[in-house]
Amino acid sequence: MNCPIEDRHPEILVAYAAGELAAETTRALETHVAGCAACRPVAAGHIAVWKALDAWDAPPVSPDFDRRLYRRIDEDARLSWWERLVRPFRLMPLRQALPLTASAGLLLMAGLLLHNPGVVAPAAAEREAVRAQQVENTLDDLDLLRQFGAADSAENGHTGAL
Amino acid sequence: MLFDFSWRTHPGFRLAILLALAVAASAESQPEQEKPAAQAQPADNAIERWNRMSPEERERELAKLPPERARLIRQRLWQYNHMKPEERQALLQRYQAFSELPPDKQEIVRARLREFEQLPKERRQAVHGEVELLRLMTEGQRKAHMNGEEFRNRFSVPEQRIIKDVFQYIPN
Amino acid sequence: MNAQPYVPRGVTTDMGVAVAATLDYDAELMLRVKGGDGTSFGVLLEKHRASVIYFLYRLVQEQAVAEELAQEVFLRVYRSRSSYAPTAKFKTWLFRIATHLALNWIRDEKHQRSRERLDDMAWDLSARQVSDGRPSVEQQLLGSVTRDEIRQAVAALPEKQRAAVLMHKYEEMEYSQIAKVLGCSDSAVKSLLFRAYETLRARLAHMGTT
Repeated sequence: MNCPIEDRHPEILVAYAAGELAAETTRALETHVAGCAACRPVAAGHIAVWKALDAWDAPPVSPDFDRRLYRRIDEDARLSWWERLVRPFRLMPLRQALPLTASAGLLLMAGLLLHNPGVVAPAAAEREAVRAQQVENTLDDLDLLRQFGAADSAENGHTGAL
Repeated sequence: MLFDFSWRTHPGFRLAILLALAVAASAESQPEQEKPAAQAQPADNAIERWNRMSPEERERELAKLPPERARLIRQRLWQYNHMKPEERQALLQRYQAFSELPPDKQEIVRARLREFEQLPKERRQAVHGEVELLRLMTEGQRKAHMNGEEFRNRFSVPEQRIIKDVFQYIPN
Repeated sequence: MNAQPYVPRGVTTDMGVAVAATLDYDAELMLRVKGGDGTSFGVLLEKHRASVIYFLYRLVQEQAVAEELAQEVFLRVYRSRSSYAPTAKFKTWLFRIATHLALNWIRDEKHQRSRERLDDMAWDLSARQVSDGRPSVEQQLLGSVTRDEIRQAVAALPEKQRAAVLMHKYEEMEYSQIAKVLGCSDSAVKSLLFRAYETLRARLAHMGTT
């Protein structure tokens, strides 16, 4: 095998350290490296880099990552409506923006009341606490029942349970 | 100069007031239009009541569980809340029928559905298809069909039990 | 009858069979999200959450920032579901979003500060390694020093080289995928990677590790 460094292909030594070469090429290269004063330290260096990268662990993911993400998604779904409404008025002169913003604000309030009843605080009488266990049991039952829905059956390509 | 306008005469504020009145009038009529749809909703369940709790109350409840279990519940709730509306509606109607069963019958249905889950895919398809077929039949046709030899030959005894109980207790 | 293996309900990660399937499986899931199937988003999140966070952590080297950026990545994925078109592999698209956010963060926020802080640490760690003579403790030190040194060495790379190394090493992404993420040609990625690994080799040799 030709010397990768003399041939101006030193990247082969990186590929070797990364285990990307075919078995036969690896064997040929190892034979060469063993006897090449130029390639030996470079190959050893890249192997050391690869091993060091292997040893570099990342910390575990926070247990509440999903919860925070889903909350952001839900908030984003509500905020984006407002953002879209406000954005055009940001750069307007004030004498134009004021009445238009007032109109927009009134429309926004009406829109929230009409189309987003979840934003309005629920009646106190309906806010009975539910245990997480009860929710889990209901989800379990829904999962079971879902199997017999015409549109929900696994055979129709449904990807997962609730 | 920026504030050189009168509340009464500025066209922008007139527009704002008109729009507000129009929207208020629309808002007045909305609840009446929505009532018929609301009455068609399936009865309340634990998930709907959960969704009405405040985020703080929900988190307090979930904090009582092991983190992984809480995480899975959050994920499953999110998936439930983001089902296609018509799918969720159909599922909830089925759930309503199920939840109106006496507890011992609910347990029977759960047991049969768990058994169904354990079946190989082809058998699940066959059993599911059979239940769908029974739903299309009249009472008399159903009795004859399930007493017939073809039914007994096509399905094992456990499968026949699944079909009968699921159909009996979850007819839709 | 042979029973199918039981999959616990609610566990959407058990995709052992599906993972081994087509390369377009993730794109197919994303198309289902586009169609309103929230379940598929959960599946994608479960599959890619860790790799995105680990990638971002190694890129920005702050865990809290990595998770915040990862949240933004998945939020953008979900937000853009209605316009999603599988013009590239889903993972390529995902890492393009992640890399874009991370590089913006690095440039806008703390790039210079990180370099100064980590460069200072490098001198302390080199001195500690040279002075320690006990075999068993030395082995431990070398293990932790190597991790710290590689962290510093990677942090010292130019951002695109850093991103390319991380995608190549930890995500085992092909040159063409990395090229699409970074918006350059395949040959530019090869060159980028070689320079990056050479820099890492030289830096670790300078620290006395290699």
